[in-house]
Order: sequence, then C-alpha cells, then structure tokens
Amino acid sequence: MRGSFFALLKKDFRLMVSSKFFLLAIGSLILYSCYINLVYVKVDQEIFPVYLYDPEQVQENISADVISVYSPEELQNACEDGYSIGIDASKGTPRIIIASCGISRLDEMRHSYALSKLSSGNSRKAKIIGPNDKEMKNRREITAEFLFFELAAVGFLGLASMLFKEKQMGVIRVHAVLSVQKGAFILSKLILILFADLLFAALLTLCNLGVSAGVEVLPKVLVQAGILSMIMAMAGFFFSITLPDFKQFSLLYLVLAVFITTPVFLAGQTGVEMSWIKFHPMYHLFAAMKNAYFQAPVKNGFYYAGCLMSIFLLFLLARYGLDREMKREG
Amino acid sequence: MNWIGLKFQLKTIRRDKLCILTFLLPIIVGIAINLLGDMNLTSTAEPSFGIVQNDLTKETVSWLQETGSVTVYDSTDALDIAIIDPSTQLLGVLSLGNEIRVLRSGDELQMYAVIADTLPLLYAVRNHAGKYEQTLLPPKNSNDILKPLLIVITMITAMFMGCTFNAMNILSEKEDGIVFINEILPMTGTQYVKQKIAVGFLGGVLSTVITAFVCMRLSVTQILPVLLFIILSSFIASLIGLFIGRSANGLMAGIMYIKIIMILFIAPPILFYLAAPAGGILHTLSYAFPSSATFYGLMGILNGNGALGTEIIVLIAHCFLWFLLYIMTSKRIQS
Repeated sequence: MRGSFFALLKKDFRLMVSSKFFLLAIGSLILYSCYINLVYVKVDQEIFPVYLYDPEQVQENISADVISVYSPEELQNACEDGYSIGIDASKGTPRIIIASCGISRLDEMRHSYALSKLSSGNSRKAKIIGPNDKEMKNRREITAEFLFFELAAVGFLGLASMLFKEKQMGVIRVHAVLSVQKGAFILSKLILILFADLLFAALLTLCNLGVSAGVEVLPKVLVQAGILSMIMAMAGFFFSITLPDFKQFSLLYLVLAVFITTPVFLAGQTGVEMSWIKFHPMYHLFAAMKNAYFQAPVKNGFYYAGCLMSIFLLFLLARYGLDREMKREG
Repeated sequence: MNWIGLKFQLKTIRRDKLCILTFLLPIIVGIAINLLGDMNLTSTAEPSFGIVQNDLTKETVSWLQETGSVTVYDSTDALDIAIIDPSTQLLGVLSLGNEIRVLRSGDELQMYAVIADTLPLLYAVRNHAGKYEQTLLPPKNSNDILKPLLIVITMITAMFMGCTFNAMNILSEKEDGIVFINEILPMTGTQYVKQKIAVGFLGGVLSTVITAFVCMRLSVTQILPVLLFIILSSFIASLIGLFIGRSANGLMAGIMYIKIIMILFIAPPILFYLAAPAGGILHTLSYAFPSSATFYGLMGILNGNGALGTEIIVLIAHCFLWFLLYIMTSKRIQS
C-alpha cells in the first residue's frame, strides 16, 4: 500500500517537472524579489517642498530644507505643480502661494506647513510606537501580498494543469480499475503542491525580509501558507475534475482573480473601508497571512476551525468529483 | 485579405467564452472607474488623525478637522492599535497641557512622518495666518491624479487583450490539432499571420475604443491621436500574442507567459511615469517598452498636453521592429 503511494508521488512529481511547474515558480520568485528589492522598498512620498523668494534676505530663522529661488518667475514655476509651496518675501508682508491640489484639507495642511517654516519655534518630535521602519513595513506588506496571490494562483492552476493532462492521457480511466485508493490519488497531488508552496513561501520570505526577520516570522507564515495552499489546491482539484476542458477552467480562474482577490487586495492595501468585506472568505485568509508577517496577535479559534472545516469539505467534494468522473469514464 | 478566413476566425472566437470575457473585462472596469470616479478617493490622500475620547478640546479637534480626517477612539490602547496597523497612515494626537503631542508608528511615508513631527509646531502657530498674505491658485490639472492613471492603465490592459486573443486562439488550435490542418490548407504563412493579427488587432482595438468611449471625455482634436495610439499599440500587442502562441507549447505555459508579459507590459510604464522625470535618461530608456510610449501619450492627452510626436514615432518604430523580428524568426523556424 505504502509502495503504491510512493509510486503515485513519484509519478506526480515527474508530471510537475515536465509541465515546467518548478521553472515557473523559480521565475516568479526571481521576478517578485527583483521588484520588491529594486522598486517597492523605495516607494515613498516626500513632504511638500517649500520654495522661498527673498531677494533682500528679510526672513530670519529659515529652516534648512527651504529651497531658495532667485526670481518671481522661478517661484511661480516651482509652485505650479499643485504640491510645492511658494513663499514670496520680496514685498513687505510675506505671501504664501499655494496651487490647489483639489483636496481642501491637504491645501490647508500645506498652508499650515508653510506657516511653520516661517516661524522660529521647534517642534516636539512625534513618539514612535510601532515596531517597523518604513522599509521593513514595505517588505513585510508586499511579501505578504505576493505570497497570497501566488499561492492563490499556483495551487489552483498547478493542480489543474496536472489533472487535465492526466485526463487527456486517460489516467483517470486507468485508476478506476486500479486498486489504488481514491484518497491517495488526491493526497499525492496535494502533498506535492503543499511542499512546493511551502518551499516557495520560505524562499520568498527569506529573500525579501532578510534572514533574521525572515526566520522570525517563518513558522507563522508557513502555517498560513499551508492552509491557503491546501484550500486552493483542493478547490483546483474539484473544479478541474468537474469542468470539461482547461479553457473553461481558466475562465473560472480569471473570474476568481478579478472578482475575488482584487477586493481583498484593495481592502488590505489601502485601508479603504468596506463593511461587507467581513463576509468575504478570502479576506480572512489574506488578513491572517498579513498578520503572520507583521507578527500581530493570533486570530481566534473560529478562524482555524473554519479553515479545517473548509479543507475537510473541499476534500470530500474533490473525492466526490473524482468518483463521478471515474463513473463517467466507465 | 481573405475575408472568409477572417469570418471563420471570428466565428471560433464567438464560441470562446474566455475571449468574450477578456474582451468585456476592460469595458466593465472602465464603467466601474466611471462610477467610482465620483466616489471620494481623496479621503485616502489627506492626513488622518486618531484621537481619544474627551482628551482634546473642541477647538483643537476642529483645528485638526480642517487639515485632515479625524477618528475618535475609546481608549489609548485602541488608538495605539490603529496607529500601528500597517495598512493606514494614521497619526495619533493627544493633549499635553495647552499643547499637543503626536504618536506615529514609524513606518509612515516620509510626508506623514514629517507632518507628525511638525504637528505640535503647526498647532502652536495656528493663529499666525493673519501675519501673512495668501494666494490660492486654482487647481491646474484635473483635481485627481489617480483617475487618469486608472483610466490609462485600463486602456493599456484593453490594448493588451489583442495579445490574449491571439495567444489563446493559436494555442487552442495547437491543442485541437488544427495547426496540422492549417499546414496542408491552400494558405500561405503570410496569409495566416495576417488573419491572426487581424483577429487580435480588431478585438483589441474594438475593446479599447469602447473603453475609451466609456471613460474619456475627448474633444474633436484629441480623437485622432487617441485612435492612432490605440491602433498602433493593439497591433504590437497582437504581434506579441503571435510570439506567445508560437513559443508556448500548451495552454498552461501560454497562460503563464501571458501573465508575465502582461506584467512587463503594464507595470514598467507606470513606474517610469511616476519615478523617472521626463527628459532624463531613464525616461528615454523606458521607451524600449512598447507600452511606455502609449502610456506617456495617453497621460499627456488626459492632462491636456499637445506635443505627442515622439510617442507616435516611437510606437511606429516598435511596430516595424517587432514585425520584422517576427517575419525573420518565423522564416528561420520554417527553414
């Protein structure tokens, strides 16, 4: 019995290798890591630059980050972008020039900021209470997002591509007469996808968070990655065994990608308030993944019970699908 | 041009739900952007402050509300959690005698970090406004940076659909074995390429034109350049589709290729547009991506910029180069 299971594993592994599954995973890993390390960590928004035109040097106590300009035209050009602030100190009372950015509160903030630049006072620095600096936060955030999207896609598509190939080759018909258990047929695929996903998750985390921070979050991340991977792979198994061809399956995937993962991403990334998002099952998976990366407190027991329950249900569904397909194939 | 051949190509596409959906998707997104356009996206751009109940005076709270949105929390613990939440840029404001003190998480964008550090000073000088004169110039461009960006991204995605059309079309022919039938049909390679390009090209153009119609308000003089951009980019996209169709040997690999190339098609122009100033070397280099020229051109049009010569010339050059490359490589494969 155990021998036949290993034979199954070996066969599925070969199938994965031949479908360039691992090559694609490594490609994605390199692509994502390059993007994170070269681009995303540098994403920032500078404070409004303040330009000062002061030919007679009337203003004293000007802070060091104010940029001096030497003609009224230069000042005009500098503050036309709707972001910079201009101060014209050439005639008596200084004039604060602001091109509106269309958001009245931000205009007001820019005005106050200009006032502070003209005053001599010092400000009490804000107290920092968070554990991360901006770069580390960016790294954690984007790695969690990429991992979520990649796992949601890879388990689903990877299992489907294997299964459709087997369907084409008539493997399922052969299995109907073999003495291998149906559970084993599903399990061998699941285990391979799970290990591939866990490996991917570990590598992505270590590459982009650095070794020390990476190792620290890894246990929690792997748990979440495992849950997500199992759920997606099982869903992939069920849909690919029920749908007649890969094309219809990829249609389903497109719908899944656009309508299911995008709102999750929006809610997670921008903090836009969406009250209905609580009813979105994928949102909880995403939130758990993000919490794992930020080492936030563990979710409540309901979440894990729900995950276990859905994994179990999906397994039953997958078995049922396989059963039906075998009957259909004769 | 073989019109009957083209008719059959369109017929197979009509049966293909995936193609129909890829065709409709950008249009749906375009409509969504139009509807969401009126939604208040600006709330994410203004500073947001968190305060604790019964802590600050009414006057301070209304001062905060002038410069940002204010959320009230029940306790300092709840406030701390909200500040540390990585998906927001919330700053905590607490009273300190007659002054205020600020809490921040330390992971904010530089703008919010500086605001947090200067907020007590801003509060102290809040009544100094009378000492200065103020000029508020009206907004020069449309007041929203995000909306044109979203529109152009959607349009670029719509143009890319030509690629998906072609790649999926050719790959499904490969899977069904029609490729072999094509080889014995009385049809030359050029005819085949023409038909395939035509299908993706027409689909891409049509989808983009409808998207443009849904979400851009164009004046008469702008219609021609926009159309030119759409036509040239859709041509390039459908050519890329042919490349993918030829090099991928299965639907699965094809979808992966499409995924990767789609990222390369859409992401770099946005990054270069936001990060590389016009006129710099990086900006010039970014023209190596065919979609960059389209992106800059469309952004220019949306922002009311007239000069588009460079972008159009670059696009035409791309069309020629890619077409030449395709012809040359396909000859080598045949021989």
